[in-house]
Amino acid sequence: MTNLLATPSSWPRVLLPATDGGDPTDLDSAIRTGAFEALKTAVRAMTPSQVVTAVAGSGLRGRGGAGFPSGTKWRAAASAPEARRYVVANGYGADPAVQTDRTLLERAPFAVIEGMALAAYAIDARQGFIAVRSDAEAAIRTLEAAISAAEETGLIGPDAVETGWPVRIEIRPVQGAYMLGEETVLLKALEGKRGQPEQRPPHPAEQGLFGRPTLVHNVQTLAAVPWIVNHGAEAYAAIGSKASPGTILVQLRGPGGAGIAEVPIGTKLRDLVDLVHARGRGSEPERPIKAVLVGGPSGGFLPPDLLDTPYEYDALRAVDAHIGSGSIVVADDQACIVDLARLLTRFCADQACGKTIPCRIGTRRLSEIVDRMAAGTPRPGDAALALDLASDIVGSALCDHERLATLPTTSAMRYFRPELDDHLLRSTCPAGVCHPIAVALAGRA
Amino acid sequence: MSFVPGLGLVRGMALTLRRFFEPKVTNLYPEVPASIPPKFRGRLQLLYDEYGTLKCETCFQCAQACPVECIDMGGVDTKGRYAIHWGPPETYGERREESALRRAGRTVPDPVYEHFHGIDLHAVDEILEGFDHDPKELLGILAAIQAEYGYVPVAALKRVSQSTGAWYAMLYGTATYYDHLAVGAPAAAPGRADEAYLGALDGALSGRGARPDAADDAPAGER
Ligand SMILES: Cc1cc2nc3c(=O)[nH]c(=O)nc-3n(C[C@H](O)[C@H](O)[C@H](O)COP(=O)(O)O)c2cc1C
Ligand code: SF4
Ligand code: FES
Repeated sequence: MTNLLATPSSWPRVLLPATDGGDPTDLDSAIRTGAFEALKTAVRAMTPSQVVTAVAGSGLRGRGGAGFPSGTKWRAAASAPEARRYVVANGYGADPAVQTDRTLLERAPFAVIEGMALAAYAIDARQGFIAVRSDAEAAIRTLEAAISAAEETGLIGPDAVETGWPVRIEIRPVQGAYMLGEETVLLKALEGKRGQPEQRPPHPAEQGLFGRPTLVHNVQTLAAVPWIVNHGAEAYAAIGSKASPGTILVQLRGPGGAGIAEVPIGTKLRDLVDLVHARGRGSEPERPIKAVLVGGPSGGFLPPDLLDTPYEYDALRAVDAHIGSGSIVVADDQACIVDLARLLTRFCADQACGKTIPCRIGTRRLSEIVDRMAAGTPRPGDAALALDLASDIVGSALCDHERLATLPTTSAMRYFRPELDDHLLRSTCPAGVCHPIAVALAGRA
Repeated sequence: MSFVPGLGLVRGMALTLRRFFEPKVTNLYPEVPASIPPKFRGRLQLLYDEYGTLKCETCFQCAQACPVECIDMGGVDTKGRYAIHWGPPETYGERREESALRRAGRTVPDPVYEHFHGIDLHAVDEILEGFDHDPKELLGILAAIQAEYGYVPVAALKRVSQSTGAWYAMLYGTATYYDHLAVGAPAAAPGRADEAYLGALDGALSGRGARPDAADDAPAGER
């Protein structure tokens, strides 16, 4: 099981239970600590549109990476004219290095189930699917046990909360491609099709699974909903940053450790990095931070002097990084940024679905250019070409994947120009990681 | 055959002379669309890039889009995996260099095509029965076939297509898209992308460099 990092006690907790231990699928003890309280209140005493208003008023934004305001999505799904609607919980966790979503499913399955039931109530859906990675066996087992416990008690099922309102929740294991994390691709996989994104609009909230209005949310987004109904929208809006309130799970990785932490959005990057960058911990002399990679395989590299940036959707996008998969990787001076950029760009190009030109060819050409830079064999004008190509990809992309796949390259060029120039102009790698060809030939080191 | 010496030459020159005095025609396409006889079926032709390799990526999107399923193809897809047996030559005659062999009437070595013959499909039928021949369950069906055979034989794809009614091109596109399915021939370890990435990331962060794991493969474009 993954390591939960100790966080300052002043940081609020919404998603993960405050105390560890106990069986997360034990419904009785969960109910004693308030599980399904919100669902009962909502179904008995609130109209669906009151629930939507509460979510909109809380300022909750999607935790899947893009940070779309959830209230807007719920309104669209609720008002789409269709008899049948679906709720899909995206627990896929596309980034191989990130375990946050499956950890949430393992530790707080009832919060996700209750959030889904609330969403279903709010948009008048009767069927929910939780998409999980097939290899997340522990999460699947926990969910199965939790769903059947909730069904036996009549909290969900054909007669949920004894009101005659039916809601069914099913687990759908999926596997086989990074792109399955993207919402339209995930819906394709649930339909049994090839996973390629769809043009939006129509958004899934209007036309999603099997052509019906579908509310797709990250599991963390859904798990926050019961808390919002219980404590009120204002209480949630008061946590974290004003523009995007609430907490989020991040996966940190640094020289001083690695693990998952629940953090208020808007916390300074420096405070997050401190959780894993051993400050006086251990006996190893500390190496200086060279860069922080924020956002997973398609993330951006930020230099140490940008560590005061708040961990928040818009602030990060402004500096060429993004929340993405919730991954924060601290690279010290052993790592070479060009080498890392090359690895990430290659991964993104390999995972691109192939549907459109920027995706199929754009990302691949970009990866080839970065390869040449790392190898110290650039062609004249490669640096300008990379930026030009990146802006073309961003401008013409069908889905966010290829748009974001340019970030490793553009952020490396924006903040780490001296290191890049060493590769490009002098054919040396300051970190001694890449072996630019000219070094080997000329015998310089 | 002509018995008058030089008659052929005269005939040829007569044609040249006639064409010489005919009015010249420049088609102002696309402003003025050409008039195309109703029975014209055209010929698919693939383009070459500036390095002289075919631009087609064997991505099957045109095949999936074609309403009469006349497009089929063979070759290597963008991920370097072997793709499909060759389709009817008249549909994609210019696909790959090997198709020149076919046009010359010689056999094309095709490992996937051989599997197409000698395979026992009883297990596929049972799997299909278990999923009630439901095209919405394709991913489940394909995963079951992969588990049964260790890969997804082309013959099995054909059978699934027949029995569920799902388009073969659609099925093929789906099966080759997912990493955990190995189409055509057993793969050493399908779906290794994640571990390769994690290994390379470890290497890059610890100063060993992203090599030699995932990043050591030739870049996609050089395959
Ligand atoms: C390449 C790519 C990968 C993604 N991976 C995930 C993922 O693993 N989990 C997730 O919840 N959202 C992922 N998303 C975002 C989803 O498309 C979608 O925005 C999200 O599930 C919506 O939920 P939210 O409103 O709660 O954020 C990904 C998007 C892209 C472009
Ligand atoms: S398979 Fe069809 S759509 Fe895909 S690249 Fe080749 S010709 Fe184009
Ligand atoms: S990854 Fe192919 S269109 Fe976005």
